[in-house]
Amino acid sequence: MEKVLQTLNSLVEDGVLGQYAIGGAMAAMFYAEPVMTFDLDVFVVLPHQGLLITLTPLYDALQKRGYEAQGECVNIEGVPVQFLPAYNPLLEEALKEAEEKLYQEQIPTWVLRVEHLIAICLQTGREKDKDRVRHFCNEAQINMEYLQGILKQHGLEEKWLLWKI
Amino acid sequence: MATMENLTPEIQHIFDAKEKRRKDLAALPIAEKVRMVVQMQRMAYPILKDRDPRACIWKIDVSENKKGCKTP
Repeated sequence: MEKVLQTLNSLVEDGVLGQYAIGGAMAAMFYAEPVMTFDLDVFVVLPHQGLLITLTPLYDALQKRGYEAQGECVNIEGVPVQFLPAYNPLLEEALKEAEEKLYQEQIPTWVLRVEHLIAICLQTGREKDKDRVRHFCNEAQINMEYLQGILKQHGLEEKWLLWKI
Repeated sequence: MATMENLTPEIQHIFDAKEKRRKDLAALPIAEKVRMVVQMQRMAYPILKDRDPRACIWKIDVSENKKGCKTP
């Protein structure tokens, strides 16, 4: 996992990525119990992103490093990584406010805040998102004031009232 | 029939222990959680490989002697 994170960091250093943050199940694991997953979701801001969002420069840079695309993912050091451009205002905000964390107390990485993970779950709305919200409510330390601000900003308050425990 | 509101003390104890286990797991270092994910993948892969194209086992070094990991 260290090599995966080092590769992501090198993509930022080389200007291939403007910013990245881990999302999905792996991000959830920073705040709650480990859950089964097969891929690593990485939200990205691409530099000089115009009207057309394309991952081609990123995939080209990864190919030069020896990492090939496999379906929706790129296999980086044995881990299928799925890159997702921030495609709506909630994700853009989540990336902007992602937290820097240390993996193995050595390697810096960026992870979406738990409050944004909850909001993304509410917005996505699948059954597994409902489960994840339940785990967060039970296990994570949530800044409720911060969460309420996000929910209000993105019109998710009603769904939160339905989903929260 | 017992309902969630009408549990015997024994069953309630089991649920409480499960809840504690979840909280203990949540408090583990992230590297230890990653090691557990790979272990779950190893367990699930034989079952899922024919029906879930995403099923795989991460080929990463999860040796237990690394900092932040515990020997099982």
